[in-house]
Amino acid sequence: MLDIAAEPQLLPSAVSFNAARLDSQKLRIRNLEHKAVRLTAAQNLLAECDREGLSWPRRAARLVRRMCEAEQPYIHADERIVFTRTTPSVPPIYTPEQWSEKTAGRTLHELGPISNICADWSNVLCEGLLQRKRVALKTRRRLAKEPDAVEFLDCAIETIEAVLGLAARYASEARRVGKNDVAEILERVPALPPRNFHEALQSLRLLHAVVWMGGHYHVGLGRIDQYLWPYLKQDLQTHRLDTAGAEELLAEFFISLNKDSDLYPGVQQGDNGQTIMLGGRTHDGRDAVNELTYMAIRVALYTNMIDPKVNLRITESTELPLLTLATELTRRGLGFPQYSNDAVVIPALIANGYDPVDAWNYTVAACWEFIIPGKGMEVVNIGAVSMPLAADQAIRAGLLARESFDSILRRTAQHIKEQVRDLVERYWHLLLPPAPYYSVLMDGCLEAGRDLSCGLKYNNYGIHGAASSSAADALAAVRKLVFIEKSVKLEELLEAMNANFKGHEDLQERLLHDAPKTGNDPEADELLVRLFDTFTDACESIMSNGRGGRIRPGTGSAMYYVWLTRGKPGDCSDPPIGATADGRRKGEFFSANLAPSPQAQVRGPISVLQAFSRLNYRRICNGGPITMELSDSVFADPDGLTKCAMLVSTFAKLGCQQLQLNTVNLRTLLDAREHPERHRNLIVRVWGWSGYFCELGPEYQEHIIARHLYGD
Amino acid sequence: MQSGVIFDIREFTVHDGPGIRTTVFLKGCPLRCSWCHNPEGMSCHREIIESRSGKRVVGRLYTAEQLSSILNRQVSILNANGGGVTFSGGEPLMQAAFLAAVIDNLSDVHVLLDTSGYAPERDFRRVVQQCKLVYFDLKLIDRAAHVRHTGVDNTQILNNLDVLATMNVPFVIRVPLIPGVTDTDENLWAIAKRVHRLTGLIRVDLLPYNRAAGGKYAALRKQFRPTYDENRPIQAKLGLFAAACVQVRIAGTIPN
Repeated sequence: MLDIAAEPQLLPSAVSFNAARLDSQKLRIRNLEHKAVRLTAAQNLLAECDREGLSWPRRAARLVRRMCEAEQPYIHADERIVFTRTTPSVPPIYTPEQWSEKTAGRTLHELGPISNICADWSNVLCEGLLQRKRVALKTRRRLAKEPDAVEFLDCAIETIEAVLGLAARYASEARRVGKNDVAEILERVPALPPRNFHEALQSLRLLHAVVWMGGHYHVGLGRIDQYLWPYLKQDLQTHRLDTAGAEELLAEFFISLNKDSDLYPGVQQGDNGQTIMLGGRTHDGRDAVNELTYMAIRVALYTNMIDPKVNLRITESTELPLLTLATELTRRGLGFPQYSNDAVVIPALIANGYDPVDAWNYTVAACWEFIIPGKGMEVVNIGAVSMPLAADQAIRAGLLARESFDSILRRTAQHIKEQVRDLVERYWHLLLPPAPYYSVLMDGCLEAGRDLSCGLKYNNYGIHGAASSSAADALAAVRKLVFIEKSVKLEELLEAMNANFKGHEDLQERLLHDAPKTGNDPEADELLVRLFDTFTDACESIMSNGRGGRIRPGTGSAMYYVWLTRGKPGDCSDPPIGATADGRRKGEFFSANLAPSPQAQVRGPISVLQAFSRLNYRRICNGGPITMELSDSVFADPDGLTKCAMLVSTFAKLGCQQLQLNTVNLRTLLDAREHPERHRNLIVRVWGWSGYFCELGPEYQEHIIARHLYGD
Repeated sequence: MQSGVIFDIREFTVHDGPGIRTTVFLKGCPLRCSWCHNPEGMSCHREIIESRSGKRVVGRLYTAEQLSSILNRQVSILNANGGGVTFSGGEPLMQAAFLAAVIDNLSDVHVLLDTSGYAPERDFRRVVQQCKLVYFDLKLIDRAAHVRHTGVDNTQILNNLDVLATMNVPFVIRVPLIPGVTDTDENLWAIAKRVHRLTGLIRVDLLPYNRAAGGKYAALRKQFRPTYDENRPIQAKLGLFAAACVQVRIAGTIPN
């Protein structure tokens, strides 16, 4: 129980270094000055790949090599952690014709390349690339008679050498411009294990950037406060660094992650998956919060940029001072941290077949999907089940056939099951392209002589259960008004829905205001629970996804909350859903992730948390946050910060799984829509990531403006 | 069974008292303060708000049992976070019998009454004794000015303030700072003098006038007719209270 009488001892929230140097780095990036060093022409690899008749894995390795070679080392006078990408794009390794031939009969995930996973940064840092290469060579000797393994390992080695070559060229550039300290670091890492925090961050910067250069995207950074801590701890103990020095280095690393967001593919600008995970448990189950956890939050407060996207693992016993410090980020309006409740997530992962030691080590993918660093080749976002579509079709068919409400529920379940089956079928022949460099960074690929695209320890797929509240509300309205009260005739309801409620405004008003709503009324909450149980049943009934994994249901929506409303850009195959029985007109929004329907009148966050705490999260392990918008006036009172931290603690105590909070000012959002030039740095949480408001598509801006605002 | 009209139930109302609270807004108010931010709280009948986002009915009838059972579902959370339930309005005491029945039905929880003090003494006493904390709005000490700006005489309000000081229930005096009306030296000093010796006074909160006040009127087809110059800067003379040894602070803004 929290004791409000005892003021929590507030932790310092300001970084302690002199920020002038980094302020100017931030400014250069926000002014896009670093783009001036970008090369104008992209490379062409097609000719040499065809001439040499390279196989797919060899092309993938060649790509990494040529990208590294094409990089023009650039070091700004004030940089201590270097690497600025100069290659403007990732060239294709097949012509469009060759590509369609290669992929005929197969399904690609999104753009094709491996994405949305997390490397074992811990391991690659502490081994160093030269040791990774030795491992590859050893396996190559052992598997000398297996051509596939030999080819994979040759490719992996080619990429390692490419990265080492790039580091060497950066080292000489550093010497040339008189930055001998930087040169010394790059002469050591990433070839060898870092000896200190600075070397670790430089190594990580380079290793991470090259993943993007290989065409991969949504490249997560995982649990930085765990794997970087040994280096920092030693520096602090030996007084090589003090807190200010460490924070300054970490800040420079964070800032560097914001350089190339425009080059990263995503549905919207900013959707780039550069997540970090803080806190949680150690491999033996102990509390993992350390000084670096606090430091990372303070540094994110200072940088005030969209990357990296901060996640924090908590439990109901997480102390208020840490939550209060994290809430400072929320107050800043950065849309993070996103919170995951260890007490719920870890048992769910274990129940779904993850080894406890791996479950304890979970992080998130690009948005919220729980994954294990280095051990998963999971595709956590193969698609979404449209919950409103399932409910809507069941309601229409059930009412026409004059069936019972139970029968409508059965139809809904059947529809959800079919959607799951369709998705699994569509991805049964999933084609994952070879990824030799990414394999170097994962557990066991070099040891086994197998590319990560052949699978890792965990190979599950994830499916989002999108726009669930609207579906539950539609069912709840039908149950109450048509079946229990019998105050609405089924013909009338169908007619009104078909007419998009035109001429049926009174009925629409009743559907909107007299029917139970998720997040407000237990009658609707209960149907939401049933929908997810049904969805989970459907996922569990699939014994294999074709890649040795299962299907994980989740509670997120990704961008489907917009696509289901407005249609997917450039794709007419799935028309948006029409008017629905919850009183929502065609074209009106669904909610993002777990949130009450935008059309519903709701009381606020307590009822919302209570509603979503009812879900059977032990069976739902793909993640998906409760998404709430707080008015910035919450923080007008001095105790607003503590109250918000208490709300987060309540989320954990109630046994909810994941939470993201957006702090917004409605007037600012409206003004930013009219005058983007005045709000260039305005950051908002979109669906599972933070981006600049003015860089979002109009429909995504509109949705944020339409969301429920609490605490105003 | 008692029933009452509610125009909103809002959770996480951070400006409405200690801890995490849920505020119930009771519909109907005998005052007509020209700066009122909650015009939908004035009438005690259901009304329709028409705005850009469509029509919305404000005002739902609840029985005391219905309302208290909604609140009781979250009492353990409110208690665990040092909070509770706030009853506001409108003027909640306009439905005093209903309110008393709701509070009777509540589980053990911190109840805060946010009142203008304009109610029969019997109703005032009856509800206040069920509360742990009172937010007592005090606008103008001058009787004629009070009539002019709020439409009612303040005798009953000042009487209830004296009653409050005998009831052993702690209270906060809340003063909306309306430019040229309530923020004058004379009025603030009169308030300070009036409250400084009252038993149970925790502090005075000054609530700076929010210029977005008029926004909701059009949606209710009401006219916003301020009796003051909206653009005049607000005076927040804390010193007047300090001089009377009264704890004072400036709260965020007048809550919407």
